[in-house]
Parts: sequence; structure tokens; C-alpha cells
Amino acid sequence: MDDRLRETLSAMMDDEADELSVRRLLSHENQADVRAQWQRWQGVHDLMHRGRSPAEGVDVSAAVREALDGRARPQNPAAARHREPQRFWQWPAAAAMVAAALLVGFGAGTGWDSDAVSSGTLASAPAPATEASANESPANAGPVQEVALQGLDEKQWEHMSRYLLEHAQHNSVGAGQGSVGYARLVSASGGY
Amino acid sequence: MSKARYFGLSLTDLTAQSLLALVLAVMMPAYSFAGDKTAADWLEQLGPALNMTSYRGVFVYARGANVHSMQIAHRYHNGIVEERLVLQDGGTGEIVRRDMKVVCVLPEQGKVQLDQIIPSGPFAEAFTNQLIPVNRWYTAELKGEDRVAGYEVVTVALTANDKHRYSHSLWLEKSTGLLVKSHVRTAKGEVLEHFQFTSLEITEDISDSEFEIRSKGREISRTLSGSGSEGEVSKVPRMHGWHLGWRPEGFEPAAAPGSGKGQAVAFSDGLAAFSVFVEPAGRISMPTGASRIGATTVYMRQLESGNKMFLVTVVGELPPASARQVAESVRIDETFVLGVAKP
Repeated sequence: MDDRLRETLSAMMDDEADELSVRRLLSHENQADVRAQWQRWQGVHDLMHRGRSPAEGVDVSAAVREALDGRARPQNPAAARHREPQRFWQWPAAAAMVAAALLVGFGAGTGWDSDAVSSGTLASAPAPATEASANESPANAGPVQEVALQGLDEKQWEHMSRYLLEHAQHNSVGAGQGSVGYARLVSASGGY
Repeated sequence: MSKARYFGLSLTDLTAQSLLALVLAVMMPAYSFAGDKTAADWLEQLGPALNMTSYRGVFVYARGANVHSMQIAHRYHNGIVEERLVLQDGGTGEIVRRDMKVVCVLPEQGKVQLDQIIPSGPFAEAFTNQLIPVNRWYTAELKGEDRVAGYEVVTVALTANDKHRYSHSLWLEKSTGLLVKSHVRTAKGEVLEHFQFTSLEITEDISDSEFEIRSKGREISRTLSGSGSEGEVSKVPRMHGWHLGWRPEGFEPAAAPGSGKGQAVAFSDGLAAFSVFVEPAGRISMPTGASRIGATTVYMRQLESGNKMFLVTVVGELPPASARQVAESVRIDETFVLGVAKP
């Protein structure tokens, strides 16, 4: 499995992945490999939340693919045709689907619709764009404008990664945090 | 009558006393296990424990739902810290540290310069030498006992006193004070960042061979600057050409990282830290707003000064609204603008 697919998987766990890459992931020739990686991560994730891993032995890809075909397309027909990096398919809904697919695997059926959409977003709702006022933005109150990491192009992402890394290295040995700092650093260098 | 009143009074006293006794009885276990140590005592022990405990294990680190696991061996022997961390997922890579020398082997998969990964310069020590009274900005509280990775632990909650920082929960191993688990939480209790040992062995019996580099790849080594640098680390922020109009109370300038072209300053309240980067925008145009990765907020904005565009970025473990407030308080000095104007 290449890094790109691994990134998609990671993004799926982050509730952030675009439809194209999920499709690519699902059409990967070695599904066992994909499944194993997903289960491994899901397992760690669940372990940390003190639950057992529901992912063991369940193939979610069919359910996800079905969900993608059945529901996502009419909602966003443009996404499949153009490679528009800004227009991302609402992945949180898909994550809910994956979760639902897992539940189905355990015989606990639920609908696709879930209120898990708010996960991973900032507490405040996106405000109207403020970037027009480039010089002195007066808005100190009100919700914070959110920038989706997936929306950044490669140059922008590279630029931001550098900052993340520089910041992470302050924490790595400093702040008395030891391995936490290192972990933060590795997390910053690992890409998303 | 008076007798009855007297009786009533004494009963009240008695009730109060027995209540106190009850409270003490309830609290006693919480204190006896900790050897009468308070939350502050545990926190004081935290730093030394991280360095001076010898252990091996595997920990997971998650921000948002992004999970990494790492294997670690840490030894404190003859006053020297040795540490080896090995990535357990994604590409292969490891970090080996012996005293102040760090060697890093990481996979060449990222888009970033690996040379930037290793901590360098005096700032690493600056944080630890800076004894900022954490208690002023956080309320420390012993929460009780738990078990993590097979070890008995005490739980310490550090609750932020204002909205400009996150709260922390720490799980510390009882006999050594080693940090074995931690959470970074919002005021609403949402866990943003999670660190935890899934397997741990606290032991002095760690051989030299466990600190040998085994991965193949590009090696980068650095020597951290000595600890005697505290006197030299200026408390004056190295903000060349710009300054901050506002920053959350308690965050003090720590030191400037050795960024080549950027102008960066780090601030810390003793627990959390944020960095401010100011540089000429150049050809890159960044969107305005905040991104959040676990407990880390990245707030970006463009700032126009003297017909020059600057890129202001605040990165740190602070809430998005505070990061924005910091970013918006950045002012560019005229000299910086002139300096940039030069070819």
C-alpha cells in the first residue's frame, strides 16, 4: 500500500477524505492489505477508548462503496468529474457510514444519517470570508474563520508543515514533556 | 431550655466534627497512596521523572483521530539520559538521543525538510529552565487513582483558569512520577490530544544495545546546546522588526527558533506553548483563518504594511480564538519593511 492510500485511510479516521481518494482506496487491488491497515488503526483507536475493536474481520469496503454510489453522487455530481481540490465531499457523513457499516457487521442496524457531522470542525461555525480585509482585520469577536487543511495546495501545505515542525521542536525537548513532544513532532512530520 | 440549646449546639459541633472525620476518611486513601503528596508535589516531580526514570514501552499519541504509536526505551545512567524512539506505523524511522546528542533517522516520505526536525539551538533548554508558576494559570487538583499499562497511577487535573489555554489531565505512575498518560481538553471537556502508554516496563535493566540505531536511511545528528545557556538566553523576545500588541496573560517569551528566513518567537506559560511566525509573504498566498490539528491551532493571516505583504502565523496549543487574537495584534515595524524592500 502506498503512502497516498495510507494517507486516505488516515484521513478517513480523521473524518476527512475526499470521494475520489476513497474510491481509489476501495479499488486498490490488495483489499486485504487496506483492510488490515484500517483495522490496525481502528484497533489502536478503540484500545485508547477502552473498547474492543469492532473492526476485526469486518469488510467495510462493500458497504462504503455502496453508500458512495447510492448517496454521495447525486449530492455532489461535480466532484467526480473535476479535480477541484477545494470542493470536498462531506466526509463526516461517510465516516458515519463506515461506522454504520461496522455496526451492521455486528448486527446492529442503523440508518446512514448520523449527527456525527460536527466532528472535527471548529467549535464555532464558519464565518463569512474575512480575507478581503487583508490589512487590519478588526474582528476580534465572532466565530473564527476555519481553514480546511485539505483545501490547501501543495505549496501552502508545505509552508504550514514547516511552521508546525518548528513549533513542534520547541515542545520536543522543552516544556518538560519528553516523549509527548517527540510524538507531537512525529505527528507533525508524518503528514495527514 | 438552655440545656436543650446547649445540647443542640454540641450536636452541631459533633456533626461538623464527624463530617470532617468522614471527609478525611474518604480523602485518606487518596493521600496515603500518594504519601501525602499534593498535586503541586506531583507536578514538581514531573520534569525530573521524565528524565530520570528508566523504562521501556510503547505509547500511542493521537490528535484528533490521527494516531501514531512509538516504541521507546529510556535510561538514566550515571547522570546521562539515553533514549530511543521507533515509529511503529507508517514509514520506518527512529530518534536516538544520548545526553545532548540526537540522531534522527526518518523515512524520506514527507514533503518537509528533515533537517528542521531535530531540536537545535538554545530554545530547547530555555523552556525547562524557565520556572513559570504554572499554578497561576491552571488549578491543579489530585483526582484519584487509576491503572495505566499495568501500573498504579495518580491522576492530576490541571484546569485552565481562563479561556486562553486548554486544560490537561495527567496520569503519573505512583512510585516514580513518570507521565504515563495525558489528555489535553477544551473547556467543554472535549479531548483534543491523547498520549498513553499501552505497554510499559519501568526497569533499570536496559542494555546498551537497546540504544543502537537500527534503521537504514538518511541520518541527521545534532547536538543540543548545553544547559549552561540560561544566562545567555535573553528574556527579551527576539522579534526583529515586529511586535505583539497582545498575548494571553502568563505566556512569556521563551526563545527564538533558528529559522532561516522566518521571524519566529515562542511563548510558553510553563505548560502550553505557541510560536509566532512573521515573514514577507513572497509568492505564497495563504488563506486567512484557523486550522486545528488535535490541540494544535494554526492561525494564518496576511498583513499589509508599507505596501509590503507579510504572512503572520500563530502555531500552538491554544484555542483558535486566542490564536487569532494574537495574530491580529502583530504590528510590523518600519525598519522591517525597509529591510524587506532591499533586494
